[in-house]
Amino acid sequence: MADAAPLVSIFGVCFSYGKNSVLREVSFELDRGKITALLGPNGSGKSTLLKIISGILPLQSPDSGQIRFSGTDFLSLSAPARARQIAYVPADLLAEFPLTAFEAVMMGQICHHPNLFNSSSQAERDQAHWAMEECLCWHLRERDLHSLSGGERQLVTLARALVQGAKVFLLDETLSKMDLNHQAAAGKLLRKWVSRGYSIVLVSHDLNLATEWADECVLLKQGEKIAWGPTREIITTERIRALYPGPELIVAPHPSTGMPKVFFGKMGS
Amino acid sequence: MARTSLFRHYLFALSLWVFACITALKFGVATQLDPELVMQLRLPRVILATAVGMGLAVAGTTLQALFTNPLCEPYTLGISTGSALGSVLGISLGLQVNFAGLAGSSFFGALFFTGLLYLISLRPGTNNLTLLLAGVMLGFLGSSLVALWMAVTDANGIQGAILWLMGDLSRARIYGATFTLTVMLFLAYVVWTHSRELDALLMGEEGALVLGIPVAQTRRRLILMTSIIIGLCVSGGGMIGFVGLIIPHFVRRLIGSLHINTLPLCAIWGSTSLVLADTAARTLVRPYELPVGVVTALVGAPLFLWMMLKRQGDA
Repeated sequence: MADAAPLVSIFGVCFSYGKNSVLREVSFELDRGKITALLGPNGSGKSTLLKIISGILPLQSPDSGQIRFSGTDFLSLSAPARARQIAYVPADLLAEFPLTAFEAVMMGQICHHPNLFNSSSQAERDQAHWAMEECLCWHLRERDLHSLSGGERQLVTLARALVQGAKVFLLDETLSKMDLNHQAAAGKLLRKWVSRGYSIVLVSHDLNLATEWADECVLLKQGEKIAWGPTREIITTERIRALYPGPELIVAPHPSTGMPKVFFGKMGS
Repeated sequence: MARTSLFRHYLFALSLWVFACITALKFGVATQLDPELVMQLRLPRVILATAVGMGLAVAGTTLQALFTNPLCEPYTLGISTGSALGSVLGISLGLQVNFAGLAGSSFFGALFFTGLLYLISLRPGTNNLTLLLAGVMLGFLGSSLVALWMAVTDANGIQGAILWLMGDLSRARIYGATFTLTVMLFLAYVVWTHSRELDALLMGEEGALVLGIPVAQTRRRLILMTSIIIGLCVSGGGMIGFVGLIIPHFVRRLIGSLHINTLPLCAIWGSTSLVLADTAARTLVRPYELPVGVVTALVGAPLFLWMMLKRQGDA
């Protein structure tokens, strides 16, 4: 990429729930055309961080961090403007009310036309159609959200994020319920999107999935960043053991891709 | 939802409303009544039932999206009771007895109770059922306070007040009813312009934030409008339950949940159902009259129970 400046910069983000400090001075950058994996055990603050970056969770005070998007103060933008730039993609969609998959995807347009009267229906429909084709869920369009499987709903969620028109996707366990076919397809999609200059953050408990696709990794432990850099350099046995001290983990390269993979060593004793 | 089938739904609902209105005007104790008398007595009732039914259905739909809970409605959440408490207080304090005054104090009662529920819903760990229970308890508290107040102040016409508390459209007068209908149409329109925000709120608070909705601000605005609607409904017809629950549920089944289509159809069905319920209340046990709230509860409460148990079964 010719543009050297990072797309999103995260500076010194701190956050606490009551007295529990969840994030401590976390800083890193997201570049165009890269997938960044955010890894860490449960409770290390990954989801909280994604919500803060997207502006869903407000910072507790002006000096508890800053998010800059293309050099501007991102959190000072209006809610719809934020949703147009950075899309937080949740692990699931709430399906309390009867809504079809197509209607759910159309909701991604709300940040473009919050007003009922300036929406241009046909263009919006075409956009939603394209996004659902892209995310392999066009055949589900007439189905009710609650009749879909978890993995299918996640494809719909991805399509909705695409409709938002954002250039940065924050995937919060968004691939967790997909079967291997869908995961592989989603992986290809993410690659395609970053080749168009998008930037993607991936939070996943599936370390091997994350290391397969991510160009960079950020390791979080108890709210602190312990490492950030290219996947091949960052994922080492020592770091992974520091992150997950319980099981005896081993990192070894994948036989054909050479990407670092995490294995259980001896189980039990 | 295809345009043509949507059009058919609207056409059907509107024809049913017209049919309900004609039935309400024609059908009664004495069939050979003076036509002028019919107009004086029944026409205002039909207009008021149309307005209140519309208001209750629109308020129910809005509350369900606001709290992301398909079991919400003004009556079961206790907001109607809060509104009734407001009007009883208003009357007893001698603030105003005219129509606008009554509507005003009803509105403040509704706003106060909705605000309380909103604060409860913000507490971490509050789920759909706790919110609902909190609403039911607020309702109990409200009706006890109303009873207490009426006992203490020895209000005149206590019999009439009790009837009104159970939902009663018989006090309708042509000017008041027409005024209520006009304002209600306007308010329903204003809520309708927020259709897209309401759609986003169906995905929950976080889900709406993800879509770029300033949730707190939107909720405050919608709570204010819903409270005005409920205040107007209660000052016009007392506490009428379950219309705001059953109608949105039924309409969402028919045409889905996008509010741009759902809200208007809910409004029409709400009007139709209350006009029919009021006709039933007038004629079922003649020569006596039932409060219309009794009719809606007789139909609505079992349906509510069924919906709740079914939801639990699904979960």
